[in-house]
Formats: sequence, structure tokens, C-alpha cells
Amino acid sequence: MKLERITLENFRQYFGRERLDFAKDKQRRVTVIHGVNGAGKTSLFLAINWCLYGEGANNVGELISKEAIKLARPGERVDMSVELDFSHDGERYLVKRSRRGIRMMDGSVQIDSSDEFMMMRILWDGQAQLIKNPIGTINAILPSNVRSYYLFDGEKIDDFAKPEAAKEVKDAIYLIFKLETLDRARRHLETAASDYRKELKNSTSGELINLLDDDERARGELRKKEDRKAEAAVEIDAARRKINDIDQHLRGIQNIKFLQQQRDRVGQDLKQRRSELEDVQYQIRDISTTSYFTILQPAIDDALQRLEEKRERGEIPSNIRRQFVQDLIAQMRCICGRPFTDGSPEHQHLLRLIDNTLPGSLEDDVLEITATLRTFSERVGRQRNDLTAQMKRRAELVDQIRDLDAETDDIGRQLKDSPLEEVSSLELQRQNFLADIDRYNIETGELTRDIEGLKEKIAHLEKRISQARKNERREKLLSIKFDLTQRAADAIKDTYQTYANDMRLRIEAKTKEIFKLLIWKESHFRDVHISQDFDLEVIDRYGRPARPELSAGERQVLSLSFITAMSRISEEEAPLVMDTPFGRLSSQPRNNITKYVPDMADQLVLLVTDEELRDQARANLESRIGYEYQLEFDPMTSCTSIVEVVRK
Amino acid sequence: MTEILNRETVAIDEAAHDIYKQLTEGNNMLEAPFKTMKDMFMWATCLGVKLGLRRPLTTKRITIFRWAQFDPQIDIPLLKAIAIKDSGDMSILLRRNDILTVAEEYANAGIYELRASLLEEYGQPLWNLVSLISELKEA
Repeated sequence: MKLERITLENFRQYFGRERLDFAKDKQRRVTVIHGVNGAGKTSLFLAINWCLYGEGANNVGELISKEAIKLARPGERVDMSVELDFSHDGERYLVKRSRRGIRMMDGSVQIDSSDEFMMMRILWDGQAQLIKNPIGTINAILPSNVRSYYLFDGEKIDDFAKPEAAKEVKDAIYLIFKLETLDRARRHLETAASDYRKELKNSTSGELINLLDDDERARGELRKKEDRKAEAAVEIDAARRKINDIDQHLRGIQNIKFLQQQRDRVGQDLKQRRSELEDVQYQIRDISTTSYFTILQPAIDDALQRLEEKRERGEIPSNIRRQFVQDLIAQMRCICGRPFTDGSPEHQHLLRLIDNTLPGSLEDDVLEITATLRTFSERVGRQRNDLTAQMKRRAELVDQIRDLDAETDDIGRQLKDSPLEEVSSLELQRQNFLADIDRYNIETGELTRDIEGLKEKIAHLEKRISQARKNERREKLLSIKFDLTQRAADAIKDTYQTYANDMRLRIEAKTKEIFKLLIWKESHFRDVHISQDFDLEVIDRYGRPARPELSAGERQVLSLSFITAMSRISEEEAPLVMDTPFGRLSSQPRNNITKYVPDMADQLVLLVTDEELRDQARANLESRIGYEYQLEFDPMTSCTSIVEVVRK
Repeated sequence: MTEILNRETVAIDEAAHDIYKQLTEGNNMLEAPFKTMKDMFMWATCLGVKLGLRRPLTTKRITIFRWAQFDPQIDIPLLKAIAIKDSGDMSILLRRNDILTVAEEYANAGIYELRASLLEEYGQPLWNLVSLISELKEA
């Protein structure tokens, strides 16, 4: 940033419009503004700060010129503003901050709620283009938090050289060299890495392997059970074939073939009865699961009674449709065909019916429900009878099956007890095969139950495996993110340390170089250090820290050396605006500063008292001054005018 | 307008869903006698009405079937009769949502009575259901 011009309007003691151009040539880059104490140097310094950042106006009283307020009529508007022209990176800008107030009857001023701030870019053809984000743009050019290192008050310039100033030194280096940005990036990355680490710790690592093991085991078990079930089916078939063979054999033995034939007949009967029992049970199931309405006859009766009461009150015309009544009224004829007159008892009755009936769709609904519910009583009776009949049939079938089973047992016992050893042996084998079939059937039942359970388990495992696979993919991604974030944080940390240290050493070297130029006891001070803890230290000829012993002037020189060193190292294009910088300095350092500092800043603005700049100091600056002004304070009006000093 | 807003689905509390599944799933009619969840819902509703037990749905609602599955000759007149008895208001017949809410709330209480009778008593659920019909006939 290079300042070009400032224009003040009714700003503090600057009544009306006052303008000042800043020197910005390469050779003549110094602007000197002279003023006695109270003439308005600090107000001008304040005007630059307030215009650019809206800051510095606290505890300094009203900014609007008192003279302008005094001269305004009650109710009249008073405008105050500061305009600043500057260039930066080849572009020209104009910023203007203004404040408005209304002169009140009692002479005070009522200020508008907020100041107005605008910024414009001056295009190549002189046109001004409004910048929509002026605050952001100003901060990008010269951030607000570093401004005090470029626009500084001479009274406070020794701040950096005080023994307790390590924090100020560190802050200055951080802000000017944007180390804070790097440090913030590192902190954010470390926080993100820490979050990823926690998430990884809570993730389901290893779950997929366990689930896959479970799935494999369950599938292995399922295969075994299914194989065994198939084997049992084969065994059952084999046993049945053996039984058929035995039965065939028994049918061929003369003395007992009648028993076998009887068993065949009983067997057929049993099969038939069992099949019938199955059907009856299905019937019972169908009837009983749909018999819910049979338990609600009282509720149905209650609803019917309510509907009946409505009907009796004429609110539901029994089977008479609204349309039918409406037709009768339209024809003015009774249902018997006799005509009636308007207002007659018949006519009035029909009108009442229409008024009292329910809405059309509801009326239809009520009629339909009433009709259906009236059939429920019969339905209930039928349903109960059907159930009773089927239950009775079931009991009969159960008895018949029991009898047939007993008959089968009896035949088997007769054959087993047969005096013919062959018959007895065959029957024993037959009974063993039957027992085998029963055993295999039980086993098959158990296997079927286990197989169903395993299939359910596998289906459940498949879902969990699918979820675990998703988690694993997420975990891998999380791991990559964590690794990258941590490495980035580490890299930024290393870069930050290297960069901060490099900057510190470069600033240290530059500060030392400038300090040696500016100080008048250069042989007494051997070195300048900025420690790793950012302590700015001066080492004397005895090799000992000398900062506590520095005079106020020496501290001012050390601070100035540090600030100008930072300005040089940062390579930021920025003006150095110094308000009463030489107040505490004796002639030698003042001479040195005026000799060397103009080369250390891109632009130098000095706000000085008449005592601060004279003799050799003045002579040193002579060839570098571009503009020189005198602040002329008028005791009659308490206003200041800016008068350019004409240089010969 | 009333037609547009009519609810099409019938819901139960998530907490009762397992009971419905236990008595409808599988191929053993003695253990799981109900062919449909609709029949079971109707049983639960009627049992709730019969015993005067009613409970609003409180946990997550689960849809188990649609209005179209109700038998128009038995189920719908029965549900309407229950709604009339419950509210004493004929106009409830025009509000399907209210009819369903009444039924759902009775079913939400009746289902636990059905479970107690069919699953917690000694014997197989089908024969327990037949016994229940017989008991309620006499009650």
C-alpha cells in the first residue's frame, strides 16, 4: 500500500475540507507534517486509522468538527468524512468513511446509528468501480491486526524493547509473516487427525473375520444336516421296501395269509381316516380363525338397537331413499297418488323427513350396515353349528383311528406269537423296521427344525457380513484419511518451525544491521538477538544482555530497528507513518534515523513537532522530502488548516 | 375430500408384531393356526371389545395389511358396528380413519389376551382357540 492523498471534511479540528498529498517517489518518498502540540498531528494520524479500519476513535471525544456543529442550524445535517487515495499492486483505490449527525437545539449533535464505509477501485479510464466487500478487501491489502506495526504512535514505539515484550515481539512476527495461518492449519489438522483416530478406535475392526468364520461354520453344519436328512429319507424308503417285502412274504404263507390281508385292509382304512382327519382339522382351523364375529353378538345387537332408534325417530327412513321423497315433493303427490298442496300436512311431513335424514352417502351406509348386521345372528348360528359338527367329526375320526391302531397292533401281536418261527421272525423284523422308520422320522423332524434354524442364522449372518464389509471399507477409508491428515499436520508443523526459525534469524540479522546504523554507541552494543522464545535482546561489549539498562531513546531505536527490519523482510509494500517519533531522541540517533530510515520504508510519513526536526536531522531528510506541510492552528476558531510548505 | 384422506393401511404396535408372526408363520396349523394377519387382527379387536380392553398404539407403528383385505360382508360391518357402539355417533361411519383407530386400539389390547389364551395355556394353539370360542360363547 502506498498512500497518495487524504481529504478530511469536518474531522475534529479540520473544519471544512482539508487535503494533503503524500510523497511516493522512489527518491522523494518522505512526507513531513509539522505541527506544534495540539495542532492536529495525532488527529491526522487518527484520521488514517479511522478511515481504513474504523478504529482508534475510542476515548478521543466527538470526531465531527465542533465548529461545523456550532455553525449548523438546529435540525441541520452535519457531514464528516475522511477520504484516502492509495495504490496497491498496480491498482488505485479510494476509501471513504463518513459519519452524519443532526444539530440539536441544545447545541449537541445526534449521530446517525452507523458510519458509512465504501471503497472503490479506480479503473484505467478514471471511472470508479464500487467494491462490494470493502472490509475484506482492506484487510487483504493491509490486515487490521498488523496495522499498528506500520502506522505507529511514536510515544509507544519502544513497546517491543521493553523487558516484558516477548509476547509483543512474537505476535508481531506471527502476524506480519502470517505464521498464525500455518499454526491454525496445523491445529485444525491435528484436531481432525485426533477425531479420525477416535473413530478408528471405536470401529468394528475384526468383526468381519469373526462373522465369516461363523458363516462358514453354519454353512458346514447346514450341509451336514441336509446330507443326514437325505440319508434318513433313503433309510426310510429302504425300511418301507423291506416291510413291503415282508408283507408280500406273509401273504404267501397259507396259515397266516388271512391275518396279513386283514392288516392290509386295516392299513388302507387307517390311511383314509387319517387323511380325513387332516381335512377336518383344516376345516376347524378355517372356521375357528374366522369365528371372531361370533363372540360379538351383544355389540352387534347394541349397534342395531341404536340404528333402530334412529330409524324410529325418523332420522333414517326405512328403505325410503332421499331421492324418492324428493321426487314426491317435486310432483306434489303423496305416495298413494293423491295430490297435496303447498304447506299441507303431507307436504310438511315429507319436508321434515328430508331435513331429519342423514347425508346421502351416510344414509346408504347405514341402510347397508343395518341390513348386513341383521344377518349376523344367522351367520353366528351357522358358524357355531359348523364348528360343532366338525369337532364332532374329528372326535369320531380320532376314535376310529384309535380302534384301527388297536386292531393293527392285535394282528401284529398274533403274527409275532405265531408258532411258525418264520412268521414270528418276519413279524419281529417288520416291527423293527417300523421302529426304525419312527426313529428316522423323529430324526428328520429334528433335522428339519435345525436346518430351518441354520438357514435363518445364515440369512442373519449374511446381513451382518454385508454391513461389516461396508464398515471395513469405511474403516480403510478412515485409516487413509487419518494417515494423510496426520502426515499433513506433521509436515505443516515442520514447515512452520523451519519457517518461523528462518524468519526469526532473518529478522534478527536485519534488526542488528539497522540497529547498528541507527544507534550512536555502536561500539558499545555488540549484537542483537531474538531468542527462540522471541525475546528481543541487545548484547553489550562484555557479552552480557543489556536491554534492562537501555535508555528510553535507545529502546525507541531498538524498536524502530525491529519494525523496519520486519518491513524489509516481509517485502510487504506498506507506508511507515510515524506520529512524533523523535520526541525522546537526542540529536545523534535522530540524525541517524533521518539518514537511514527513508531507505528502509517504501513510503515514510513523519508527523513531527517543530522541535523534532532541525539542523542535521532536517538536512539528512532534505533530499528525500516530497511534500512538506504545516498544520496551522487558529486560536480564534480552534481549527487547523493544512498549509503546504513551498520548497525552494 | 373424505375419500382422498381415507387411510388404506392397518397398523399394530411394533411390540406386538412377534405375536402376530408366531401365530401366522410356518406350516404347522396346530401351532400357527391363523392363515392371515388380518384374521388375527380381527380376533384381537373382537376380544378387546368383548373384554372391554383398549390401548392406544405407543411404540413404532407397523403396517400389517391393507383395508382392501377386510371382508366387506363381515369385517367392515363388524368394524362399523364396533365404532358406532364405541362412539354412539352415526357420522363416524363416514370417517374410515376413526373406524380404523378404534379397531387398532382394541386390537392393541386384545392381542395380549389372545396370546395368553392360545400360547400361554397348556395345549396346542388351534385347540386352545376352539376352547376360547366355546368359553366366550358361554360368557
